Amino acid sequence: MLELHGLSKHFGGVKALDGLDLTVEEGEICGLIGPNGSGKSTTINVICGVYGQTAGTVRFRGELMDGKPPHQRLRAGIARTFQNIRLFPNLTVWQNLWVAQNSHQDIARQGFLPRWLGATRQTRKEIVELLELADLGHKGDDLAANLAFGEQRRLEFARAAAARPKLLLLDEPAAGMSQREIDDLGQRIRRVRESGVTVLLVEHVMELVMGVTERIAVLNFGHRIALGTPGEVQRNPAVQEAYLGSSAPESGPEGGRA
Amino acid sequence: MIDFVQNTVDGIMFGSSYALLAVGFTIIFGVMRRLNLAYGATIMLGAYAGTWLHVHYQVHVLIVALVILASTVLTGIYVERLCFRAIRRDAALASMVSSFVIWMQLEEVAIHILPERTYSFPSLFAAEPIELGAFLIRPEHVTMLVLAVVMMGALHLFVHHTRHGLALRAMSENPRAASYMGVNTGWIMLLSFALVSLVGGVAGCAILATNEQITPYFGLWATFKGLIAMMLGGMGSLPGAILGGLLLGVAEAHSQWYLGNAYKDLSAYILLFAILVLRPGGLMGRRILSREEFASRRV
Repeated sequence: MLELHGLSKHFGGVKALDGLDLTVEEGEICGLIGPNGSGKSTTINVICGVYGQTAGTVRFRGELMDGKPPHQRLRAGIARTFQNIRLFPNLTVWQNLWVAQNSHQDIARQGFLPRWLGATRQTRKEIVELLELADLGHKGDDLAANLAFGEQRRLEFARAAAARPKLLLLDEPAAGMSQREIDDLGQRIRRVRESGVTVLLVEHVMELVMGVTERIAVLNFGHRIALGTPGEVQRNPAVQEAYLGSSAPESGPEGGRA
Repeated sequence: MIDFVQNTVDGIMFGSSYALLAVGFTIIFGVMRRLNLAYGATIMLGAYAGTWLHVHYQVHVLIVALVILASTVLTGIYVERLCFRAIRRDAALASMVSSFVIWMQLEEVAIHILPERTYSFPSLFAAEPIELGAFLIRPEHVTMLVLAVVMMGALHLFVHHTRHGLALRAMSENPRAASYMGVNTGWIMLLSFALVSLVGGVAGCAILATNEQITPYFGLWATFKGLIAMMLGGMGSLPGAILGGLLLGVAEAHSQWYLGNAYKDLSAYILLFAILVLRPGGLMGRRILSREEFASRRV
């Protein structure tokens, strides 16, 4: 599905990513964890085209993504959420979803009216379904800026899903969420996967990562130090050292939130 | 009293074309957070192309108008390519400076096309002023108002009820997020330049047909009026741009009548100064600003 090969990204002298190899298989939920500054967000940013890589390649479904602008990558099937929520605050919830949904439709084959006016019956139905998925059914006409924090997170998730991606990149979706919201999020991620979407999850909340993923890659200093099932990763001494250093036993991958 | 009403009506009618100019500046500012200083010159060059046709071939005024619209759009796209597309998103100042340079360039081109100082511009139709009781209404002004209302209505429909309009709004809200959500930001930029140039072309035709003459300084004039009207209403607010345009028109009409022609432009600057002192964000700008602040706090 997604192949990163020898991926490097240098910011001046800082090597945010340094020769990362990672393959995400179709239909899996893959976790990407690591201490702060280990290159997780950089990986997501390179995959969806925020900036180009210094070296290496990104292949998506066998196709080379290098040099493609973000909107083309989305069209190819890569959607994302943001670590800091980036909604369109003065558009309604409904319109937020509509923007993303417009991206995947095969516009060129449609007639003049749908091409310009957009919202056909089919798109409306899809958006209603997405609102249900995000538990925002009654808020469709509210401005995104007026939603509560948790609702904004859910809207961002739904917006990424509205683009009908094949691969969904989640950048710390549980940040700032309560326990109940995290449980809901876990369920939502599983439901999206059941509809045939592959998920790459970057997260600090370990119980979420350990709970929903099948495979986890661990980054440190821009390269991969471990790859395996949640159980394998937890037992891996290199991972424990990266997280714990020599002391501080409270905050490891097993210790709830790292 | 009759004078007052007459001036107000005249001001609103002429102000409607200021409003169109201000809307042009506002859309580009909203989408890109950049000032397009070449906007007035774009309209001027488009108008010069039409005038050239009129001077050399005496074609019908409607053909002149069509040529003006087409060449304004083309010039607008030229400006977009040179000053906005070519410059990175975070270098807003460079865009502004280069749009100023292109303004000078477009003025030079106009002077080469038609080297004399002034040319006559065909009026849309020859009609006598309409008498309504004690009031006198110029048909050109009515045309201007009708054109402006039609353009505003079309723009409103476009921005609020079409997918490209939605993409345009998404882009003015958060350009990066828009691009990750599949909005082709380059295409939307091009589209908005073509659109505002069209709006400017319509405003230019209406104004020039009323004035019945054109000089290379029309670009400077349109830039001043558009910018002042935009700042009166509030940067980045479309209703503000319309309000600012109308207010500017009314203020000019009154000061011209009561104080004399020399005070017409001065009154605009005094009005702008007063409003910026009382409401630094412009009339509608304050709400927009605080809403953005509000949004950035929570989003």
